[in-house]
Amino acid sequence: MSETVLSDSTSPARATAPVDERLAYRSVFQRLLIRPEIGALIGLVGIWVFFWATSVPFGTANAAASILDVAATLGIMAVAVSMLMIGGEFDLSTGAMTGAMGILIILLVKEVGDLGGAGLSLFIAIPISLAVALAIGFFNGWMVEKTLLPSFIVTLGTFFIVKGAKLGFSKLTVDQIQVGRIDEGAGYSFWRPIFAAEWDRTKHQYEYRDVIYTLGLIIGLMIIAVAVFELFFQRRGERRPTGALAFVIGLAGLYGGVAVLHLTDGYGGNLLASVMFGVFGLLAVVGLGYWRYEPVGDRGRLSLDGTVSRPLVLAVVLFALAIAVAMILDATNNESLFFPFTEQGLRATLFLFLIGGSMTLMLIAGIRARRLSITTKTLVNLVSAAMLGLLAFFVRSQSDSIKFRTEAFSVLLILATIVAVWSIAGVLFAERTAIDRAADRLGGRLFIIGSLLVVVAFLAKLLFTTTAEIDAGLASSKFSMRIIWFFGFTAVMVWVLGRTRFGSWTFAVGGNKEAARQVGVPAARTKTQLFMLTAGAAWLVGMLLAFRLNTIQASTGDGQEFEYIIAAVVGGTLLTGGYGTALGGALGAIIMAMAQLGIPYSRWNSDWRFMFLGAILLIAVVANRFIRNKAEALRR
Amino acid sequence: MRRMRTVLAPVAALSLVLAACGGDDSSSDDAAPDTGEAVDEAVEVDDTDDGDAVEEAEVTTAGGGDLTIHMVTHSDDGPFWSVVKRGADAAAADLGIEVVWLGSNNDPETQVQMIEQAVSEGSAGIAASLPSPDQLVGPLTAAVDGGIPVITLNSGSNDYQAIGALTHVGQDEIIAGRGAGERFNELGATKILCGMQEQSNVALEERCEGLAETFDGEVIIDFVGLDADQTSQTNTIKAAMEADPDIDGFMGTGPVIAMSGLNAAQDIGRDAVVAGFDLTPELLDAIEAGDVAFTVDQQQYLQGYMPVLLLYLNVTNQNTLGGGLPILTGPGFVDPDNAGEVKSLSAQGTR
Repeated sequence: MSETVLSDSTSPARATAPVDERLAYRSVFQRLLIRPEIGALIGLVGIWVFFWATSVPFGTANAAASILDVAATLGIMAVAVSMLMIGGEFDLSTGAMTGAMGILIILLVKEVGDLGGAGLSLFIAIPISLAVALAIGFFNGWMVEKTLLPSFIVTLGTFFIVKGAKLGFSKLTVDQIQVGRIDEGAGYSFWRPIFAAEWDRTKHQYEYRDVIYTLGLIIGLMIIAVAVFELFFQRRGERRPTGALAFVIGLAGLYGGVAVLHLTDGYGGNLLASVMFGVFGLLAVVGLGYWRYEPVGDRGRLSLDGTVSRPLVLAVVLFALAIAVAMILDATNNESLFFPFTEQGLRATLFLFLIGGSMTLMLIAGIRARRLSITTKTLVNLVSAAMLGLLAFFVRSQSDSIKFRTEAFSVLLILATIVAVWSIAGVLFAERTAIDRAADRLGGRLFIIGSLLVVVAFLAKLLFTTTAEIDAGLASSKFSMRIIWFFGFTAVMVWVLGRTRFGSWTFAVGGNKEAARQVGVPAARTKTQLFMLTAGAAWLVGMLLAFRLNTIQASTGDGQEFEYIIAAVVGGTLLTGGYGTALGGALGAIIMAMAQLGIPYSRWNSDWRFMFLGAILLIAVVANRFIRNKAEALRR
Repeated sequence: MRRMRTVLAPVAALSLVLAACGGDDSSSDDAAPDTGEAVDEAVEVDDTDDGDAVEEAEVTTAGGGDLTIHMVTHSDDGPFWSVVKRGADAAAADLGIEVVWLGSNNDPETQVQMIEQAVSEGSAGIAASLPSPDQLVGPLTAAVDGGIPVITLNSGSNDYQAIGALTHVGQDEIIAGRGAGERFNELGATKILCGMQEQSNVALEERCEGLAETFDGEVIIDFVGLDADQTSQTNTIKAAMEADPDIDGFMGTGPVIAMSGLNAAQDIGRDAVVAGFDLTPELLDAIEAGDVAFTVDQQQYLQGYMPVLLLYLNVTNQNTLGGGLPILTGPGFVDPDNAGEVKSLSAQGTR
């Protein structure tokens, strides 16, 4: 997201030709909304909340470790496959390649003998296996370029060859359909930590963890809030110091509110904290705005038309329905009713979907109301805030689970406060309507700093434990090295796609290969390199699997290639090429891992798993398209 | 001594394509998809997947007997079936007769042709696996009507009587599951997750159903992820265990998934009784170390040896065994007491 902000601000063409519709100014939210991965991001949060609500252990660090463990190998491949799909090609051999590379490395290091391989050191075997992977990738690209056949067909052939070779070589060398014992290879102790180290959370106690978490989260979010202001509102020529003073007092008050929330445990404490959040948040926001930004000129009059009132009314109806569902269904009945649902599961699911629908409609109403007048928009948003607040107290009063009574209550109240404060800020200060390079730069940097702080806060919470938690008997949870490979690979690929010439070429050859070639893009080379990238990613996953499992089945990875493609599509990459992101593939993989593990976490029968996955896929694709259309429409 | 037979080339080529498109190397109809460490024997022919459209058959004979028995199975020549084949070869050697081994690599059409071929050659007896009754019952019935004694092995316990076979030699999955359930009772488990590595595979579901019949506590039967993705399999089992703190037992319906269950239980520090089906070297090691309680072994060596022996006795001496009931080769159990011995037998390729 931070990159969005920067990429638009640093584009040199922007200021010179403002008449072009494509170069018209877009606000920070519009820029965010037209990102291809925004649908996946919303889906990620939605599905997390869904399973958090239906399953007791889903929100724990343990579950996070499991989900990321599953998502890592899937995600590395999904990111690479996303890039290839942006480049307009498919690779069906990716799944089988992961297992093949795992088998290859083991056969290379296995002892020479009756049942054995080449007996090489891992220091030699690892580069050799990488070279083999890249050669297969090169072959795929070369075949596609030379024969001009669809890559779907060519790589289907490669898929069968690789799959057959896995089985054939396994049986030829060890007479088994599995190949094992990489740990006998020379250099194993050096390479194992690189591919398969584990971080055991229970062995790392850090008593100040919660302090770091709370401070990092709050300061990070505040900096992000300031960044959003900077990016969204029109700077004024002359600053007002009184505003700055009010801003600082507001911040201090918010800090006090957090302290109250943390130090007290009860209804009164939460109420006091929320009042403090409201009052001091407002003070900080108004102070910040008064200090730096232009006041709004024309607020317009209150006016409602069908485009706004319809979603508004529907949202209220859904909201009432959700409340009714929660009141009628029994929260304690754990018997299966139909499908995989127990009565309480059904209650949670219906409630969440209805509330989710209601809030989405309120968001739509709010966006549409912007076109009518600022006053209307503010009123609609205040209604949203009121609904969120009401929801917070309803959840608190109706729920038996401690999770809902505390965490959900606080989050909802804070959300309500943010929406309310934001609507008030919107009625006081003027939106920016033109590009302001200095403001964009500052806002972008603040955004990055704030995001980093939030990330640090979450990392502290996930990676460390406290004595209190250990005393409460928490299960051990291990974060595996592959998660770092996953994040690192994703970060590098996001950079490659967004910042390098190769990235631009990828979009160009995927959009229109002939046109790209005619303007001088080396189309054949770019596509071949993309095939080598997916093969290289498969090699990486093969290493991660081999060092983790020690034994690889000949069937490993078969059929997974479609999961990679699904993850890429869920992440907002188009099947037709030329559009998509690397980050989206990673988010798609996390969504799929959550969906897959959420079902056993919720104690549902996994017979329904594929139905669920299919539904997520459809919803994701439809939502991506919907959001993109809405965002495009907003620009006009 | 070996002979090559060319089966109708287009059909065999088609069979290769179909087998390749099947998507799964281990037949879902194998009672045990993959088992055991197996040592290559000098006489064994390499696999048939080389695209030559040639099916290879192998004849084992010792002594000069003119009796020829055909063993026509859906074998994929994997480790499981190579143990069956060793059993058949050993019986042929012991009895001094000829056994023709015909593996169809999970392709019913090819298997039908192999059966018809055996009949036309005037086979003395046919031992056949029966994974897909729709295609195979017809030709086998025809063989019986033509006066050739037939015994089914491995799969076919529901249909062997319909075709008039002498008996069926194999493991009944329900009975194997029941045996495992009683073991779990002895080991003191109270709530078991019975995890399957394939969805809608009847054999695997029967293993879990049999377990639920005899086990005193509660059994949760669920598909927890394919062997092809062990990370996801392990984490799914972990999730199911974390969601239900009462689970103190895990039954995997295969050897790989049993190891996933063990890893999951160890990861979250759950003291659970873990058991599996069939053998792999890792599983045997884990049993020897005491981490896994036991595994259910269907002793497929017997599924190769016994049909040959019984057909021989029937042809030469008009004997029948089993009184029309199936002859069960399982469940045999491998637990810490005998894991060491089974390991060395498995290395020899007979377990």
